[in-house]
Amino acid sequence: MTKRFDVIGKPRRRVDGRAKVTGLTRFADDVVLPRMLHCKLLRSPHPHATIESIDVSRAQARPGVHLVLTGKDFPVTFGILPVTQDEYPLAPERVRYVGDPVAAVVARDEQTAFEALGFIEVEYRPLKTISDPEEALATPEPRIHSYGEQGNIHRLQAFEFGDVNEALAKADHVFEDVFFYQGNTHLPIEQHASVAAVDGEGKLTLWSSTQVPHYIHRALANALQIPPAHVRVIACPNGGGFGGKCDLHNHEIVVSKAAILLGRPVKICLTREEVFYMHRGRHPVLMKMRTGVTKDGKITGMHTQTLLDGGAYGGYGAASTFYTGVLQTVAYHIPRYKFDACRIFTNKPPCGPKRGHGTPQPRFGQEVQLDKIAEKLEIDPAELRLSIVAKPDSLTANWLKIGTIGLAECIRKVVASSDWKNRFRKLPEGRGVGLACGAYLCGAGLPIYWNKMPQSGVQLLIDRSGQVTVFCGATEIGQGSDDVLAAIVAEVLGVDPYDVRCVTGDTGLTPVDLGSYSSRVTVMMGNAAIQAAELLRDLIARAAAEHMETVPENVGFALGRVFRADDPGKLMSFREAIVLAEEKFGTLGSVGSYSPPRSPGRYKGAGVGPSPAYSYTACVVEAEVDRKTGWITVPKVWIAHDIGRAVNPVSARGQVEGSVYMGLGEALMEEQVFRRLPPKLSNALVHKIPSLLEYKSLTSLDMPEVFTELVEDPDPNCPFGAKEVGQGPLLPVMPAVANAVYDAIGVRIDELPITPDKVLAALEKKAKGETPRVGPESFPDVPYPEPMLVPPPWEGGDGNSVNTPRRRPLKKEALA
Amino acid sequence: MKAPRFAYARPASIAEALALLQKHGDDARVLAGGQSLVPMMNFRVAAPKVLVDINRIGSLTGIKVTKSFVRIGALVRHVELERSADVAKHLPLVAAAMPHVAHPAIRNRGTFGGSCALGDPAAELPACTLALGATFVVAGKKGERRIAAQDFFKGLYATALKPGELLVAAEFPLPKPGYASAFGELARRHGDYAMVGVAAHGLRKVGKFSDMRVAFFGVGDRPQRASGFERALEGQPAVDGALAKLDADLEPRADLHASAAMKLHLAKVLADRVLGGLAA
Repeated sequence: MTKRFDVIGKPRRRVDGRAKVTGLTRFADDVVLPRMLHCKLLRSPHPHATIESIDVSRAQARPGVHLVLTGKDFPVTFGILPVTQDEYPLAPERVRYVGDPVAAVVARDEQTAFEALGFIEVEYRPLKTISDPEEALATPEPRIHSYGEQGNIHRLQAFEFGDVNEALAKADHVFEDVFFYQGNTHLPIEQHASVAAVDGEGKLTLWSSTQVPHYIHRALANALQIPPAHVRVIACPNGGGFGGKCDLHNHEIVVSKAAILLGRPVKICLTREEVFYMHRGRHPVLMKMRTGVTKDGKITGMHTQTLLDGGAYGGYGAASTFYTGVLQTVAYHIPRYKFDACRIFTNKPPCGPKRGHGTPQPRFGQEVQLDKIAEKLEIDPAELRLSIVAKPDSLTANWLKIGTIGLAECIRKVVASSDWKNRFRKLPEGRGVGLACGAYLCGAGLPIYWNKMPQSGVQLLIDRSGQVTVFCGATEIGQGSDDVLAAIVAEVLGVDPYDVRCVTGDTGLTPVDLGSYSSRVTVMMGNAAIQAAELLRDLIARAAAEHMETVPENVGFALGRVFRADDPGKLMSFREAIVLAEEKFGTLGSVGSYSPPRSPGRYKGAGVGPSPAYSYTACVVEAEVDRKTGWITVPKVWIAHDIGRAVNPVSARGQVEGSVYMGLGEALMEEQVFRRLPPKLSNALVHKIPSLLEYKSLTSLDMPEVFTELVEDPDPNCPFGAKEVGQGPLLPVMPAVANAVYDAIGVRIDELPITPDKVLAALEKKAKGETPRVGPESFPDVPYPEPMLVPPPWEGGDGNSVNTPRRRPLKKEALA
Repeated sequence: MKAPRFAYARPASIAEALALLQKHGDDARVLAGGQSLVPMMNFRVAAPKVLVDINRIGSLTGIKVTKSFVRIGALVRHVELERSADVAKHLPLVAAAMPHVAHPAIRNRGTFGGSCALGDPAAELPACTLALGATFVVAGKKGERRIAAQDFFKGLYATALKPGELLVAAEFPLPKPGYASAFGELARRHGDYAMVGVAAHGLRKVGKFSDMRVAFFGVGDRPQRASGFERALEGQPAVDGALAKLDADLEPRADLHASAAMKLHLAKVLADRVLGGLAA
């Protein structure tokens, strides 16, 4: 059905745009309450140590200090996933990374609190440290945590969908590559901030820069052992999240506890340095990929092995580990697939979800490997990909349900716009183009704790004044979720989106929505919003139909008017129609709910990967490489994203351009890296660059021209057909850069970031006649378990596993 | 977090400023453009007890051209150097360097004197003073003294300024006829401090280099001239034969973004390009 839209698809100023650009948006740091106190955290200078003693008496005695808290004030562990409750708000006995909080001071102002930290005396006994996965595999003792698989291995996962060895044996060529993707961090403009306050009845409210108020609500109540009904979490608009505000963080628990103890509001604002320490960003991942192909470029099977450097705590790590394997299958047809994944504990800040959560790393490997395959088979890389794109309305080998897939159209668009055929392998030495693709979720199929309740709820309130207020737990993190919400409600009710009031991200007022992560908001909140708005529209239509002497089905809504569809001259204002409806039905309101469709996979572990829809992207990057300095510049990027339908094309294009920006940073310079101090000093693993001065990310002046195209093939599972755009467009950028570098100078840099020294090293190898490649040389021996065997759909499977691996079965995983 | 508490004084004259600096000694820091000092204070890397704000001292401002030199006041903002017709005419090296100094917002506030007195080894202007043979004018209790740029930069963030002294200006000799200059730097991003930079000035006569002064920055702990390289260039038509001398001239220090070997390599590539541009 083609329907003319009044709001959806129209380029508009965002509903929150004016407040953002005039500085009126109230971020968490802008919350100021009467009698408010300020908190600072004392963080461990040791990467691994036991706490022998803490003496807070001198800090406590400082003028202006109201409270000093330590680990003994927080007996209960927490963790965002129910399966990994391994963190303490303040470490009681042991610290596991430089930056692990050990004490907190609450004082009359930030300065006083900061200075008092210097009067807390902590005696540490340093322990042996583990700096990376290979060291961890070789060093089972001491264990960083007493739980996990064994030694310092946090998680092991192994799945096989069809006999992959057989598939590789039958292939004409088998490609085996090892890739490394360095860790990097989110870099939101807004540092984390929280304010906690208790009301007269002792109930707690926490304002916080968080992407997931509902999860924080649950976890905070548990961490403080107070009834959830007495806790309200308000997610302030975030100045960027990118996954870094998805955990319950130490500081949120600490200020909440302090507010309860003192009966006064308590605020904390982290410094940029602290944000680098707390991290939860991109996992460093070592990957090995074995792919079998026929001589015409069809994939026969693929085996992906990943090794994640998880840092000091679990966090979302179990989910991250799954995501390094599960979405490899949704872009191209892979008849047989196996993945082994392993996450390691190290004495560094914990890693977690960052834009693309666990998938950019294997996507990098897969897309660079495809480039190598295309070259070897002498097939154009765009043609190769076009010939293997997954089919619409199909299942993958690992039982993921693909609905619409606009990937081929995306590839064709960037091939045309970039003049690929006349550039690829045809530009002068030093200049090149590279192509890569990506695929991403439109919302994780399951929540992070097992339940059968809706994943998004929307409530609408409407009254005789004509005002429309929409309540939803979704969180505006800068991505435009309020705008999507207002637009969808406005479209259904035929009103101006700027007349819709959004009340969002407040667990005390809004129906539950799981939060702004996994690119779920447009699809899940949007579907719930349509349901709620249509219920109200039906009521109004019934009342208006009576008045206009017609049937409700013949009542139209547009541009603030309600009219007879067969005779648009018969009309009334939206407000008049509401008065009629309120007279007829009483107080007006409605609710909508959304739960994703059930995934066909039935095996244990099938919960990670399913999504109501998948988005697709193709990207061509042009690179210029200076052969003498190794400098890489990117003058232009062409990118096409399969968005289903753009709710607001301005906002959508902004997300695509932002993804290119972030992707180029990850490809060329960003790295969250650590070094060991000399043993005679402390043997500490310290963050090399916890500062924006030295952590290099592109600036606006370094951005290339970006040519963005949106491919619109509405997906029936999505509101007005709209898929995600927040994360997917990031994915192809990094491998496209690597492939462009190869086209420019004929060297393979199989690890990120691609820095000048690596380019020079590869060129030197090339000059000496060695393999012109820089990247990891080998993949360590990881004790992956026997895989769970699940036959793919086309091999007679029913979505269940056919074996029970000889290890403890995975618990029912419900992971984001 | 913002800076620790500090006292603030705003003298109206050099004499008043000197009195304050002498009174407070090591506790005092001079505030000029504040583009390095204030971030350092916010990071709590610097915690001066007293800031002596020299922004109201008129005698520290201005670019003056005399018969023999160009005098640049310590309070001259980067943007003034960038836009000055006198600088473009007489000190084209400085004019060429200015677009590389940070970003426009920083250039609007940052000062010539602040950049030189801070002595950041990766900064552009100190290298220009070396290449152009400038002389710093310094005021102290006992009056003014002059320090050749060659003797001014002592090490990492260290200069020949003594406690209680104030940098007043620098005097750049007017270039002699036939002299030319060239500037270049490599930075990962627009506006970053250089990983390696070169400022060069000398005579280009009948297709040969002569009397070259080549200053490198971002390589060692201070901007430094490459004297062996300069000597090897004398009378040569091209650069490449002299480049090997940089192995002995430079002592690159590895930093977060490049090894010492990488820096040396980049220094050679850049010297070749920048001086090659001069030869062309």
